[in-house]
Amino acid sequence: MEKAKINASQLFVLIFLFELGSALLVSLGLSAKQDAWIAILLGMVAGMVLFFVYLSLYNYYPDILPTEYMQKIVGRFFGKFLACLYIVYFMYIAARVLRDFGELLVTFAYNETPLFIINAVLFLAIVYTVRKGIEVMARTGEILFVVLYFLAIVGFILVVVSGLIEINNLKPVLEEGMGTVLKTVITETWYVPFGEIIVFTMIFPYVNKPRKIKVACLSALALSGINITITTAISISVLGVDLVSRSQFPLLNTIQAIQVAEFLERLDVFFMVGLIMAGFFKISIYFYAAVTGLSNVFNTKETSKLVYPLGFVVLFSSMTIASSYSEHIREGLQFVPLYMHLPFQVIIPSLLLLIAFIKNRKKKKGVHQK
Amino acid sequence: MSFRLRKFFRPNQKAAEKSGHTTEPLNSSLQKNLDALNNRTGYSSDIIIRKLEIEDNKKTKVAIIFVEGIVDSRSINDFLVHSLVSDGDLQDKQADQSVLDTIADKVVSVGIVNRIHDWKKLYESLMSGHTIILVDGMEQGLATSTKGGEKRSIEEPPTEISIRGPREGFTENIRTNTALVRRRIKNPDVRVKSMTIGQVTNTNVEIMYIEGIANKKIIQEVCDRLERIDIDSILESGYIEELIEDEPVSPFPTIHFTERPDVVSGNILEGRVAIFVNGTPFVLHAPSLFVQFFQSVDDYYSRAYIGSSLRFLRIMVFLISLYAPATYVAATTFHQEMIPTQLLIVLSAQREAVPFPAVVEAFIMEITFEILREAGIRMPKAVGQTVSIVGALVIGQAAVQAGIVSPAMVIIVAITAIASFTTPSYSMAIAARLIRFFLMVLAASFGFYGLILSFIVIIVHLCSLRSFGIPYMSPLAPFIPADFGDSIIRLPWWRDKKRPKLIGTNNTVRVGGNQEPGPPDSRDMKKKTRKGD
Repeated sequence: MEKAKINASQLFVLIFLFELGSALLVSLGLSAKQDAWIAILLGMVAGMVLFFVYLSLYNYYPDILPTEYMQKIVGRFFGKFLACLYIVYFMYIAARVLRDFGELLVTFAYNETPLFIINAVLFLAIVYTVRKGIEVMARTGEILFVVLYFLAIVGFILVVVSGLIEINNLKPVLEEGMGTVLKTVITETWYVPFGEIIVFTMIFPYVNKPRKIKVACLSALALSGINITITTAISISVLGVDLVSRSQFPLLNTIQAIQVAEFLERLDVFFMVGLIMAGFFKISIYFYAAVTGLSNVFNTKETSKLVYPLGFVVLFSSMTIASSYSEHIREGLQFVPLYMHLPFQVIIPSLLLLIAFIKNRKKKKGVHQK
Repeated sequence: MSFRLRKFFRPNQKAAEKSGHTTEPLNSSLQKNLDALNNRTGYSSDIIIRKLEIEDNKKTKVAIIFVEGIVDSRSINDFLVHSLVSDGDLQDKQADQSVLDTIADKVVSVGIVNRIHDWKKLYESLMSGHTIILVDGMEQGLATSTKGGEKRSIEEPPTEISIRGPREGFTENIRTNTALVRRRIKNPDVRVKSMTIGQVTNTNVEIMYIEGIANKKIIQEVCDRLERIDIDSILESGYIEELIEDEPVSPFPTIHFTERPDVVSGNILEGRVAIFVNGTPFVLHAPSLFVQFFQSVDDYYSRAYIGSSLRFLRIMVFLISLYAPATYVAATTFHQEMIPTQLLIVLSAQREAVPFPAVVEAFIMEITFEILREAGIRMPKAVGQTVSIVGALVIGQAAVQAGIVSPAMVIIVAITAIASFTTPSYSMAIAARLIRFFLMVLAASFGFYGLILSFIVIIVHLCSLRSFGIPYMSPLAPFIPADFGDSIIRLPWWRDKKRPKLIGTNNTVRVGGNQEPGPPDSRDMKKKTRKGD
């Protein structure tokens, strides 16, 4: 664990940017058709429930990283094994998101640039950032948050002003009943992006005022959830649910539809700026969690030295996890939620909490925070 | 890197000894002392030794030694030579005192008189403009302060012009400089600490701060870093800056410098520490923050709206000076579809005849401009016009007519050039000039993707910097709401009541409550409902 402290508002900003990372990129919850936005809102609520699991675990061990308290909860050997699994999980997701972004950039702007180069450039920036530590990441987040929000507001105004929004595209609400929506929540939106907040358990110990974590996280989840909901709703209402579900990157198409005064058009850069910033944060945080976790499990003195080797691993696995984009997407929809997100975000933390609860029952009154 | 630097700057012990700072005591024989002095100084012609005989009962021999040019010869004549030679009453005055005491106490009529016992002190005083009085038969001498000589008068600082504000600028004389600040802050809490840096040059360096406002830790840190310096010479504050900055490999400056006394006053009032170096009008102050490099004195002297908007403009323009050519390259090379159609037609019509890719064109123009700018600075003023004519014709017209560059590129380069002059701090502007070339390469290879990544990396880099332990990007990141009032905007004085939180001590209140002005109550123009603090 590096010697660093971040404050609650920085945590808020980091979570916000992190959550937005995927949401800006891919279409979320579209199995629920035009009710995707409801699925996202419900996913957010479900994500908050998960967050309380993580928070209670953190409250049992407020000063140490999850990779360390796993060892305290289930014993040294199993704990280390579990911690390693989590590190692999974080690295895998980092590689996945990296692949997502690389593929997007290749499809939409850089047809002739090799995917590897695109990924490598992005990852160079990430390696540089992660080497600087969590404090620098948090400060960077504060500045980019403002930039991103500015872009989002301008983009929103432009979409509204160009008169693209067709509310009827969102109707009928709940056409296929609540069942489809709930199924979407359980299979998709619960995990991505809201359950992914598990990665922040690796960052909670750095927060200088532990009592503010709850407020910061919940408000960040709420704000990002509402923003993602609005984004999705706008995409659907502009493009219609058919186009959105067929489009690779609905938000990009939405922004491309903007035309104001025959001058402000093709604002792809808008999309690119937001996308790269948010994606950058998402990958950085996953990667940072992996690096700190590894250095914590194996007690290495200098965390920053692990950045380069791990960076290469993530970069190369981003190339090798799938042979094509469609395979990558299929894995992401079928394999990852069931075999990665569900156990790592829901089952293992819940079990850990249960064991921790039993173990700490006697001294509960002393340790547990108000 | 740091290892190599340290090795490079390792103190040269031999040089230190050779420079004669032995603490050997003075001899009692005047002649021997003078011989030793002449040997040591190699009979330098500007070192004047004036031997006198004074009118006491023993006709004691006295020598007056000074370096011509750095002393005030009038005060030597009037107050030393004249009083020593013509004072017939010396014998009466002497009573039972030694000659030296009598001279020190009753004859010499200049401000500061110090005893010296060893050669080290003697050379130090002599070289810094004191006049030395040696007396035969005494193992000590006197150093009288007769500093003087030619110096530049106080003028308007040429590098920091302001519309509204004082016209005084620092000079090369450290005493004048500290005095200029003292005159502005008439408070005994203003502290000046002095030290000598440079084994060979023995340059006076002084730090100035306000006790009770400046943070003790930062003062200590500044002192520690200054004391650690071991180098033969300090010819400008740039030497010091390079030796004490936090981040030597960053293109961004982490120590701000100024030649305006009002800027130094403002900064020490915010709790910073100023570093004066003798021989240069540029005064450093630390810790410095990123936003500080975009603040100009006019912001504080004009009304808050104007100050804020100009400051905001400067930061935006800084981004233009960084990104304008790179954006043009990226847009024309990779993202033509993002340029509005009409504009694209115009641009492509222009570029049709140009034989180079956009990035080469940009490089040609940028480098030409850098050459012109450098020539403009180095050239004698008399030929300056030639450069501007050649520059305007070559860059502006001939290059376009010859079809080497497109007119749009000329516009971009011109905007960039003008933009880079709006940054008040030269060292920050030059950082942008350097980075711009890397950005152009990135833009040519990765388009907007490269530019956005570079923007992120620059922000990450800026956020990772610290100046004397203070995060460089504060109060933006970490965001400190209380300090935001004087960052990229400036709130009016009655709203911005606190000193920067991270820099100073707990003594942060600078403006009292109820300061918001308004029309008088008596006319019933406005009911004042002032909220106290």
